[in-house]
Formats: sequence, structure tokens, C-alpha cells
Amino acid sequence: MPDVSLALPLTMLMGVLLDRLLGEPRCFHPLVGFGALADRIENILRQGAPGHPLFNRLRGLLGWLLLVLPLVTAAWLLCRLPLGWLADVALLYFALGTRSLVQHGEQVARNLAASDLAAARLHVGWMVSRDISQLDEEGVARAAVESVLENGNDAVFGALFWFCVAGGAGALLYRLANTLDAMWGYKDARRIYFGWAAARIDDMLNFIPARLTALTYAVLGDTRTALACWRMQARDWSSPNAGPVIAAGAGAMGVQLGGAAVYHGQLEMRPKVGAGDTACQWHIYRSLRLIVLGQWVWVVVVAVVMTIFNALINHA
Amino acid sequence: MLEHGGRLRLASQRYGIELAHWIDLSTGIAPWPYPVPEIPLSVWQRLPEDDDGLLDVASAYYGAKNLLAVNGSQAAIMALPRLRAPGVVAVLAPSYGEYAPAWRAAGHQVIECAAEDLRQQDVDAIDVMMLANPNNPDGCCFSRVALLAMAQRLSESNGWLVVDEAFADADGENSLANMAGMAGAENVIILRSLGKFFGLAGARVGFCIAAPALLLRLQEALGPWPLANPARFIAKVGLGDTAWQAAQRQRLHAASARLATLLANNDLPSTGGTALFQYVQCAFAAPLYERLAQRGILVRYFAEPSALRLGLPENEMAWARLENALGDVMGKYGYPSNSSA
Repeated sequence: MPDVSLALPLTMLMGVLLDRLLGEPRCFHPLVGFGALADRIENILRQGAPGHPLFNRLRGLLGWLLLVLPLVTAAWLLCRLPLGWLADVALLYFALGTRSLVQHGEQVARNLAASDLAAARLHVGWMVSRDISQLDEEGVARAAVESVLENGNDAVFGALFWFCVAGGAGALLYRLANTLDAMWGYKDARRIYFGWAAARIDDMLNFIPARLTALTYAVLGDTRTALACWRMQARDWSSPNAGPVIAAGAGAMGVQLGGAAVYHGQLEMRPKVGAGDTACQWHIYRSLRLIVLGQWVWVVVVAVVMTIFNALINHA
Repeated sequence: MLEHGGRLRLASQRYGIELAHWIDLSTGIAPWPYPVPEIPLSVWQRLPEDDDGLLDVASAYYGAKNLLAVNGSQAAIMALPRLRAPGVVAVLAPSYGEYAPAWRAAGHQVIECAAEDLRQQDVDAIDVMMLANPNNPDGCCFSRVALLAMAQRLSESNGWLVVDEAFADADGENSLANMAGMAGAENVIILRSLGKFFGLAGARVGFCIAAPALLLRLQEALGPWPLANPARFIAKVGLGDTAWQAAQRQRLHAASARLATLLANNDLPSTGGTALFQYVQCAFAAPLYERLAQRGILVRYFAEPSALRLGLPENEMAWARLENALGDVMGKYGYPSNSSA
């Protein structure tokens, strides 16, 4: 009988390789269909903007359950079938966005290296939601690095974590929850109650992955500075999960991130995180390396842990 | 002008914290200054006189025969470069920031060297070496043997070795004060000060220890009465008070060791220090400085290399404030205090 302990790291490896080979699906992205469905559910369920504090919260929760539960249950059953590991690999591939992140990040870094600020602004605009029209080179690089670090959690390590916990269904759950948080979780007036459940569930699902992501950055960079920045600066950040990720990432690379940024025409004074140099295109490459290297480290660590675990069980 | 430690007013404005609420650890000055006695009116009234006994007391304290009282060692730092023809000067870096500008202003070519480079420097091309021992801010020390070897090599080309021993009063094992200007160390020039160990930076009392001929030229360059009479009076009493000095030495060493332990307990191991300060080199010195300042604790920040220097807290209240601030700043991997829904 083949060693089952290696099933998890092997499927992980295949998912990561598939993402590296194929990148995001070109013709039809399943999330587009899911997004359209979510819009329709919101139109049906949300009453008023923001509406009743309690009832719209419950409606948002109901919408979340209606959208996520059937798909995740189906995925879970699919992975239990013979050759279900193929479904696991496919679902992990679907949840991972490493290759796409690398492509976007490298595009911005290339534009900066070529001193093409207009193109760099355009391309960084695909990665972040802030106003990019007034960004200088440093602002573009900073926005790109921040996006890479945060997406390293959302599109890479969060997905890997939930894949380890619950296989392909876990990765799918995480990706769908993440998408709904991005669609409904905005704290604008209209969805403040309806999007509450989506935001809270995403916070819960990210609690451990965000800290593992921060730890991954710390281990792969200047560990001491990363941990110090995490401890000093994470709590200043407005999101409890993004704080450790961005602070540890900035510290690991020795770069200054955060600070003022314009969102939807509003100047936001975000705290400064990290230490050392101001951002440039070189830091975009470094942040991408943290993520690419990080996912290989995860695969190896999981393989080692499972092997040890298996050896202990067989001995017992 | 260079920025020195102790710019409390500026920090007070920048961080919006009242002057009285700050813990100032930004200097290497002892937090417990020598308890200056009352100064007789006649001291104010009369011109300073060389035979007032100050030099005898200082001579005993430093174990040095040839010394000159100067208006703070800064006066000697400024005047010495003009006592020799422009040449090449190797200055320890990082160190006290006033050395290089003083030599440059007198037309010398300055090379900034790390401690290791200074030890191995090819002296054929160097006319003067200047360093602090123990060094400020990193506490790095040169042994007497190494210094004498450097002086020996420099003497072959009539070069000087200038050693600022501003922090040597409580860490004096490497001091050349009792040899400077004498046989075997004729070209060694030592600078001492009452600013740090005695905590009398405001009195501007320093000494230069060197060969008599050089001291004569320095004296001529500085002009008559470089020291105010009250400063001479205070210095004489302080330098003669061996009981207070012994107690001060013990206090400072104990406090400095306690500071090193406190820093290490907060994952900020000291990378060097003296009885008067601890030095923490780390890449995150700037944000650490910022967060301590937000909590009313002023330390000294160095950009290159990235580091902080912390002086000694004065009393238990200051220790508690520092301990709380370090714990608060460095202690939390967990939840943010301002996480809003």
C-alpha cells in the first residue's frame, strides 16, 4: 500500500505546479459566474441600504450560506469519490493565485525599471483599489509590494492552509469566503449590515493563515526585524489579519510600507510599517520571491510533518 | 552644527508631550551629577588662577603629569587640528560626530575607518589617528597594547594618536591617561571630560593630556582663562572626592548592567555599551525610536548603522516607565488594540 502520509503534500505539490504551469484560467473563470450569482442573491436578500441592523446581518449570513454551502458540500463529496484526489488538485489550483500575482507584480516592476510611470500606474491599478493617478515611482512600488504581501495571504498561503485542513473543499471554502468578503465586506454605508457576516467569517478563516503567512515572510527574510515589526506595528494596522502580514513582510524585506494613500477620493493616513529603505521595483521582486519560495517551503514542511506523524502512528 | 543627544524640547514639541513627562535617555551623561557645593562669592569675583590647586587634583585623579585644563574636551577637539600642517587623518567611525568636521575645517583630509580598519591601517599614509576609547556610541574598546602599537607606528612619521576618553572614568582599564606624552607614548594625546561620569556637562570642564611642548602650543591657541573660575572650583572638589567617585562607579555599573538585562528581556540584546549607556544595533531602530518617543521616552537614534543608544534611567519611576514602554512596544504578537469592526 502506498504511503498515505504523502498524499497531502503530493496533491499540494501538484496544485502548486498546475498553477505555475497554467496560471489563471483564461477563457472562463468560475469566479465570474459565482460573482454574478452573488450579485443576484444580494439583490434578492438585502433590504435597504444599510437597512435594519439585525435583519440585514441575518440576511447577509443567509446569503453567504446559500452561496457557499452547496458548492463546498458538492466539492467535499466529489473529493470522496474514487480518483477524488484529482478534484483536490483541481480545487487547489482554482484557489491558488500565485502565478497571476507574479505576473502582475513583475509587470509593474518591469514598467518601473523602464521608467514608464504611466504604464506602472496602470498595471498597479489592476492590483490595488487605491487611487493610482497621483502615485510617484515610490508610491507605485509601495502599492505593489503591499498588494503582493496581502495577496500572498489571500491567494496563496490561506488557500494552502485550508487545503491542509480540509482538502480541496477547504481551499474552495476559503476562496469563496474571500470573494464574498471582497464583494460584500466593504464597510461602505450600503452593505455595512449585509456584508457583516461575510467580513467576520473571512476574518475568522484568516486568523491562523495570516499569522502563518507573517511567519513565512519572517523565516524567509530578515527574521529578527520581521518579528520586531510584527510586534511593534501589526496592531496599528486597521485590519487585525492584514497587520501581522504587512508588518512582518515589510520587516523581512527591510522596506518601509504603509503611510498615506488615497482611497475612493479620500486621503487615508495609514500607519507606517516596516523599517529601512523606501520601496522601489527591487522590493516587488523580493516580495514575489517571498511568496514563490514560501509555497515550496510549505510543501516541504507539510511533507516532513506528515512523514514524522505517520512514523509515530505506525510505531504506536 | 551636528545634532547631539539631549534635544528634549524639540521632541517635546514633535510628540506633543509635556517636557516634565519625558524620560530623557538620549545622552550618555550620568543621571546623578556630582552634588556641586555652594560656590563662594570670591570665586565669582576673581579671575581664574593656574595655581588654584585644580591641576594637582586632576593630576592625581588621571595619574598624569602633563595636563591642561580646557573648556570642555570640545575646545581641544577644535583646536588640535590647527596645531599641525594639513595631512591625512584617520577617524574612527561611527563615533562622536565632531571629530571629522574639526579636522576637515583645518584643511586635513579625513578618512573615516571602522575600528578593525583603524587597527590595521597602513600608517605610512596616515598623519593622525583619532578615536574614542571606549567608543561612543557602540562601546567598542581598543586595548592599551593595541593603542601603544598604533602610537608606535605613527611616531615613525611624527604622527599623533588622539584618544578621546570621555567615557573612560568608569571603564578605565584601557586608558592611556597615565602614559600620554611620556616616554614610549610621546605622540599620544588624551582628552578627558567631567561631562559624562561626573554628570557636569554644563560646566564645560575638560583636560588634555599630552607632551608638555604640545600642551604649551595648545594653551597658546586657546588663550588665557579657558575655564571659568566657578567651573574650576567645582572640578577641583569633584576630582578630589574619591569616596563619591567610588560610589558613582558602583552605581553606574549596576544600572548599566540592569539596563542591558532589561533590554535583553525584551529581545533587544545590547550590542555594546559602557557604564553610562547601552547600544542596540538593529534594523528596526527607527520605528523603535518612534514608538518609545510616543510613550515619552527619548533615546538616541543613529541611522548608519541603524541603532539606538540608551542612557541610564535616573530612578525607579523612570525604570518602570522604560520597562512598561519596552514591554508595550515589543511584547505583542497578538491582537491589535484598535481593531475596529
